[in-house]
Amino acid sequence: MKPDVKVIIEFLGMQRSATGADRIEMPITAKSRVDDALDYVRNKYPRLELDEGMVLVTVNQEIAPREQVLKADDTISFLPFISGG
Amino acid sequence: MPMEILKQIKYMPARAAGGCTDRILRVDLSRREINIEKLAPDFKDKYIGGRGYALKAIWDGTTGDTRYDSPENILIMASGPLGNEPGFPGTGKFIVGTISPMTGTFIDSNVGGHFGPLLKLAGFDALAVTGISKEEAVILIDGDAGTIAIAEAPKYDKETDDGALSYGERLLKEVNNGEYSDCLAAVSAGRGALHARYGVIHSLYYDRRRHRIRAKQAGRGGTGTVMRAKGLKSIVVRSSLPKANGNHPVDKAGVRAAGRALKQVINKADPTQLHLSAWGTTILSEYMDKFHIFPVENYQYGQSPDSVKLFAHVFLDNYFSHRLPDGCYYGCNLACAKGAENVALTRGPGAGRKVSVDGPEYETVGAVACMGIFDPQFVMEYNWYCDQYGIDVISTGVTTAFFMECLQRGFLTVDDIGYELKFGSIAAANKCLHQIAGGRGFGKVVGQGVARGKKWVAHKYAARHKATEDEVMAELNKFGMEVKGLEFSMYITKESLAQQGGYGFSLKGPQHDEAWLIFIDQVYQELPTLEDKAAALKWFPLIRTWFNATGLCKLHWIDVRNPEAAATDEPSKNLPTLAHYVDYLNATTGSHKNLQDILDDSERLYILQKLINLRQGKGTRASDQIPLRAMAPAFFNEYQSRADYYDRWLKQNGGARKLPASPKQRHKMLIERRKREYQQLCDAVYERKGFTPEGIPEREIVAKFGLMDEKAERLLGEMGV
Repeated sequence: MKPDVKVIIEFLGMQRSATGADRIEMPITAKSRVDDALDYVRNKYPRLELDEGMVLVTVNQEIAPREQVLKADDTISFLPFISGG
Repeated sequence: MPMEILKQIKYMPARAAGGCTDRILRVDLSRREINIEKLAPDFKDKYIGGRGYALKAIWDGTTGDTRYDSPENILIMASGPLGNEPGFPGTGKFIVGTISPMTGTFIDSNVGGHFGPLLKLAGFDALAVTGISKEEAVILIDGDAGTIAIAEAPKYDKETDDGALSYGERLLKEVNNGEYSDCLAAVSAGRGALHARYGVIHSLYYDRRRHRIRAKQAGRGGTGTVMRAKGLKSIVVRSSLPKANGNHPVDKAGVRAAGRALKQVINKADPTQLHLSAWGTTILSEYMDKFHIFPVENYQYGQSPDSVKLFAHVFLDNYFSHRLPDGCYYGCNLACAKGAENVALTRGPGAGRKVSVDGPEYETVGAVACMGIFDPQFVMEYNWYCDQYGIDVISTGVTTAFFMECLQRGFLTVDDIGYELKFGSIAAANKCLHQIAGGRGFGKVVGQGVARGKKWVAHKYAARHKATEDEVMAELNKFGMEVKGLEFSMYITKESLAQQGGYGFSLKGPQHDEAWLIFIDQVYQELPTLEDKAAALKWFPLIRTWFNATGLCKLHWIDVRNPEAAATDEPSKNLPTLAHYVDYLNATTGSHKNLQDILDDSERLYILQKLINLRQGKGTRASDQIPLRAMAPAFFNEYQSRADYYDRWLKQNGGARKLPASPKQRHKMLIERRKREYQQLCDAVYERKGFTPEGIPEREIVAKFGLMDEKAERLLGEMGV
C-alpha cells in the first residue's frame, strides 16, 4: 500500500477537549487493524483512556472489533456508552 | 407578608425506618381537609414507593370518567424507600403522578431536588392532593413546627405572582424570615400552566454553592396544569432533621459500602465516557447528530450542518458556570445539573434582564433544533422563559414544530396562524412561546399539544379543500409526533425498531424514561433479532420503573458504564452497577432481594399502570401505534436526504432481490417494510409480556401480581379477556 494511505481518527465530546483536536490522520498499511489505531492514539495522547470497558470503537459509524483491518479513508471514532438518561 | 391560613392541623412527624415513614399526607382542597393516612406494614412490600404509591392512589381513587381537572383527580408526590441518602448518589428524586391533561391517563414525571427527601423527613412517604380550592392556595408542611396548613396564596406583584420560578423563590424566602435555607424546598406551577395543557411542576431547592434557588422540572404530561387546575400555586416543605441517615437504614455500614462502591465507579468511568459531571446532558447533542438521531425540523432530519452550534462545548465555553459541582441532591458525584448565571435576555417581556438559567439539558437543546433553530442564546432564553412560565420545553418545542411543518406542507396558511411560523425563525418561535404561556392568539391552539392540534388543523383544512377530516388526519398522523396524546421526547427512532417500541409501548406516552434502546439497537447492534428486541422491551421498562418507584436517579446506572460490564453477557444492562443498587436496597430496608425480585416487584407496578391505561381508554394495541415518521421517512424529502442509506437498508433487510428503479417506489417499499416490522414487533412484545395480541394483560398475569380486585375483574371482562 502506498505510504500516504491513511485513515481518519476523530475525537468527540470530552476526547476533543483532552486532545485539543477534532480529528487526526494515521497512515496505514494493508495490515493495519483497529488495534493499531488504538495504539497510535494512546502513544500520541497517553492520558486519553480507551480501555475496552470505557469506550466502543466504531469504524464508519459501525461498531468494529479490535482485529478489524482498516481501509483507506476509514473514519474511526471512540464512542462512550450512551443509554438515554 | 402574613398569610391567611384556611386550615391548619398539628401533627407529630413520623420518623422513617428502613427508608419509609408508612404515612401518606392527604389534602383535600375542596373540603379543606388534611388527613394523615397510616399505611399497613405490607403496603410498601407491594407498591414499593414513588410511582407505585401514585399508581395505587389513582387506581383506587379515580375512575374511567376522571379527567385532569376533575376534583377527584389526585396529584401525588412521592419519593421512595431509597430516596434521601447522601451516602449514595442520586437519591433526591421524587415522582409526580396524576391523570394527565395530555393523555387522559396516568402520567408520572420524575424530578430531582430536595422536595422528596424533605417531605420524607417531615414524616411522609407521599403527598396526595385532591379537590379544587376556591381561592388560589398554597400548602405549607412544617416538620419542625409540626404543622400542616392550607393557606391563601400570598400575592406579591404581578411579575412575581405569574412566574413559576419567581413565585416559588419568593415564597421560600417569605416563610423563612426572608432567608433561603436548605431545610426548605418547594414545588410550584406558573401562569403558563393555566393556559397550556403541558404545564410543569418545578422542584425548587436552595443551592448553597450558587447561593440561589435552583429548579428541576417534573416536565412531562401536564402535572403543572393539574396543579393549577386545583387552584394550587405552590407547596413548601420544611425539615431541619439531619439528612444523613435520615432513612434510618437497617444496615448503615451496608448503605455506606454500597454508596462508596457506586461513587467509585462514577469517579472512574464518567470522566472518560460522557463526562456528564462537566458537560451535563448537553453532551448528547453531538452524538445524536452524528448518528442521525437529533430531531431536526420536527424529526424530519437527524442531522444538520448547523447542529455544531448547539454542541456541549458551546454552552460550556459561553454559559455554564465552571468548576461547580452541580448535583441536585447531596451526595451525587455525577452532578449533571448544569446552570448559568447572569444570562442577558434579549427577547420577550424580560428583555434587558439578567437571569440565572438552570440548564439547558439535552432535551431543551433538542426541542430548539426541532424548530429548526440553532442559536445557543435562543436556547438559553427559551429554557428560562419555559421555566418561568412553567411549561414543558419538550411539548412546547414539538408542538410548535408540528405547526411549523403544517405551514411548510400547506396544511395551514400564514393567515390561519397570524404570522409566518416557519422552521428556523427565532422571531416566530419566540412569539409563539409567549402566546402559549399567555393563552393568546395562535398560542391558545399550540398550548393544546399535537394530538388536539391535529384535529384543529384537520377541521380547518377539510373545510376548505373538500376533503374529509379523516383523510386529512391520515396525513397529519404521518408527522404529528405524539403517541397517546403525549409528544415524543427528543430522539429520532426511524432507524431503531427497538426504540420505536420503546416509545410506542411506553405506558405514559413516548417519553424515554421507560426504555431508551436506540444505541443498543442501532449503533451497538446488541439486539439483532425480534426476540432480542422484545426481551429488551420487557426488561428495561421494568428496571427503569423500579428506579421511579424507589426515589432514585437512573443516570448513574444507565449513563455511566461500569468497566466490569464489558465482561458480562449483556453489557448494556450494566449489571455490575445494578448489584450496588441491590445491596443498597437490602441494607436500607433489611430485605434479602436479588435482581429478579426487584424486576418482579416492578412488574406488578407495570401491570397496574397498564390496567389504568385500559380503564382510561389508552391501553390497547391501537394506543401503541406510532406516527409514520417514527418508523420511516414519512415524506419523500426525508427519504431523499439519506437515499443511499435507505436503499442499502432495503437491500440488506428488505428481502427484495431487486430494488424498484424509481426512488419514489423505493420510498414506498421502505414504508411498507417498516410498517410491517412494527406490527411484528407488537406481536413479539405482547407475547413476551403475557399480553393478548390486542395488548391486554392475560388474567394469569394480573392475578400473579395480586392485582385481580373487583375493578380489574370487571375491566378485563369488558375487554373480553
